[in-house]
Amino acid sequence: MKTKVIVAASAALAALMLGVAIGSVGIAPGDVLRIIGHKVFGMGLAEGIKPTTVTILWNLRLPRALLAFIAGGALSVSGAVMQSVLRNPLASSYTIGVSSGASFGACLVILYGVTIPLIGSLTLPLVGFAFGLGTIVLAISFASRLDRNMENNTIILVGMVFSLFVNAVTTLMSALSKEHMQRLIYWQMGSFSMKDWQAVYTLAPILAVGAAFVLYFNRELDMMTFGEEQAKTMGVDLKRVKWTLLIAAAAITGSAIAFVGIIGFVDLVAPHIVRKVFGSSHRVVIPVSVLVGGAFMVVCDLVARTVASPSELPVGAVTALVGAPFFAYVYFSRRARRC
Amino acid sequence: MLTLSGVSAGYGGVDVISGISFSLMPGESLTVIGPNGCGKTTLLKAIAGILPHGGAMELGGRPMRGMRHREVAKKIAMLSQISGTYFSYSVYETVMMGRYLHTGGGLLGLPSKADKACVLGCIETVGLADEADRPITTLSGGQLQRVFLARTLAQDPEIILLDEPTNHLDLKYQIEILDHLRRWSSVGGRAVVGVLHDLSLALRLGDSALVMKGGRILAHGATGEVLTGALLEETYGVDVAGHMRESLHIWDSIT
Repeated sequence: MKTKVIVAASAALAALMLGVAIGSVGIAPGDVLRIIGHKVFGMGLAEGIKPTTVTILWNLRLPRALLAFIAGGALSVSGAVMQSVLRNPLASSYTIGVSSGASFGACLVILYGVTIPLIGSLTLPLVGFAFGLGTIVLAISFASRLDRNMENNTIILVGMVFSLFVNAVTTLMSALSKEHMQRLIYWQMGSFSMKDWQAVYTLAPILAVGAAFVLYFNRELDMMTFGEEQAKTMGVDLKRVKWTLLIAAAAITGSAIAFVGIIGFVDLVAPHIVRKVFGSSHRVVIPVSVLVGGAFMVVCDLVARTVASPSELPVGAVTALVGAPFFAYVYFSRRARRC
Repeated sequence: MLTLSGVSAGYGGVDVISGISFSLMPGESLTVIGPNGCGKTTLLKAIAGILPHGGAMELGGRPMRGMRHREVAKKIAMLSQISGTYFSYSVYETVMMGRYLHTGGGLLGLPSKADKACVLGCIETVGLADEADRPITTLSGGQLQRVFLARTLAQDPEIILLDEPTNHLDLKYQIEILDHLRRWSSVGGRAVVGVLHDLSLALRLGDSALVMKGGRILAHGATGEVLTGALLEETYGVDVAGHMRESLHIWDSIT
């Protein structure tokens, strides 16, 4: 197991290195390390490294790759939690309304040009986060009123109803305001372009605290995968733990999509791959999901910005295009081996 | 150790059982029998705290209503029928989950040496010592049920509730497991309540019997005294005793 985790961590570092080294201006891995050493530790910069290379790496590529890593890790952890809590392999924060709520919030900001004093350019991400989280809180509150045991099916159904309804409102609003439609669609497709260190500094602690928080519930998560009744009879305070973990997962997802827009598939594919390779224990699944989801997102962003350069593809489309066949390969090859 | 007085429980506001009153004594091994839909599983779920109940239920002299879920689970464990699909935990990891309330939850809730020894002992008890590292998704139904039994034993409760625990098990393990649970309940102030469709197994488990029909208790008492041919015929609507005699006759002719 330790070897596997070391391999996953090495792969994540390799993905980050590729993410910053490859682009219209190629940067050798050694130069990448030298520039980082120069910026972080004040080490002398080797001759031959141009100032523009330093700028490209430090101001553009590194924050972008780190943000992709953090967002991928956050979405992946959130997906792992949702799948286990709701005991549904297709569950994610998106299933129960985070993305639709965030889109609705973003739609309001973009259409009405709202800017909250003091936070200025952070208005869009913060409103997206607040609406995403608000939608899921409303959906779970409604579900708990309908079914005081808060069974998984009730939560998923209510979440989907909320999600579809809010989506419909967003679609109507954007259809009535065609001049803003492009910006809204662009936000909904997700992107890491034009992101600076501010987003990294904001999201990194959220991911660290969020992942540590859900890791604290690793044993409850393990038991919940055996079903609600079994978890209860083993002593899990199911309703409280379920509320806590759903909100935590939604907050983690909401924070990520607030900064980078809606990027699907990572939250679905990464936890599945992790469980296939590392087993199901959440003590391992949660931290390794950060590494695998993060690395996956960095590679997808690399593909998105290089494959049709100088144009950029929507990263959400790449996550699905790269992830779906990879997911199928991992899933079915291991199944075939077992047979 | 457990007393029910006029207990009712059900689903969606509709009572499936009502007026259930009996006491479970330390060392008792109680078998609950009755036709499909009579409320046996509902009764177990109400006792386990999975379903809310009406009436009064006391555990160790304290009312169960308002008792924290962890407190109930420390004293009552439940082994149910296998259903659905499972994530790929190893046998050891699965049985270790039974120690949850002993090691505490959270990041630092690491198992102690005693926990590990307990888990390995429970795995050995159910005959899976060589399979401890195997993923449960690769086990047969019978092996999986034995893993869940080991997990229930690892929980170290005072009362074990069994809901058709011998489904998926072959005869050898049915007998071994029921005998083990009988022995388990006979020491240390423990008790077992088992729902079993197979009457011969029910008789093997229970030194007392609770007969249910239509959500109510028809009879309760020592197995040998309560289970008369007339009562079983009234309960199941067929001549159960005659049917069992016929089976024995066939068995005699085979041997």
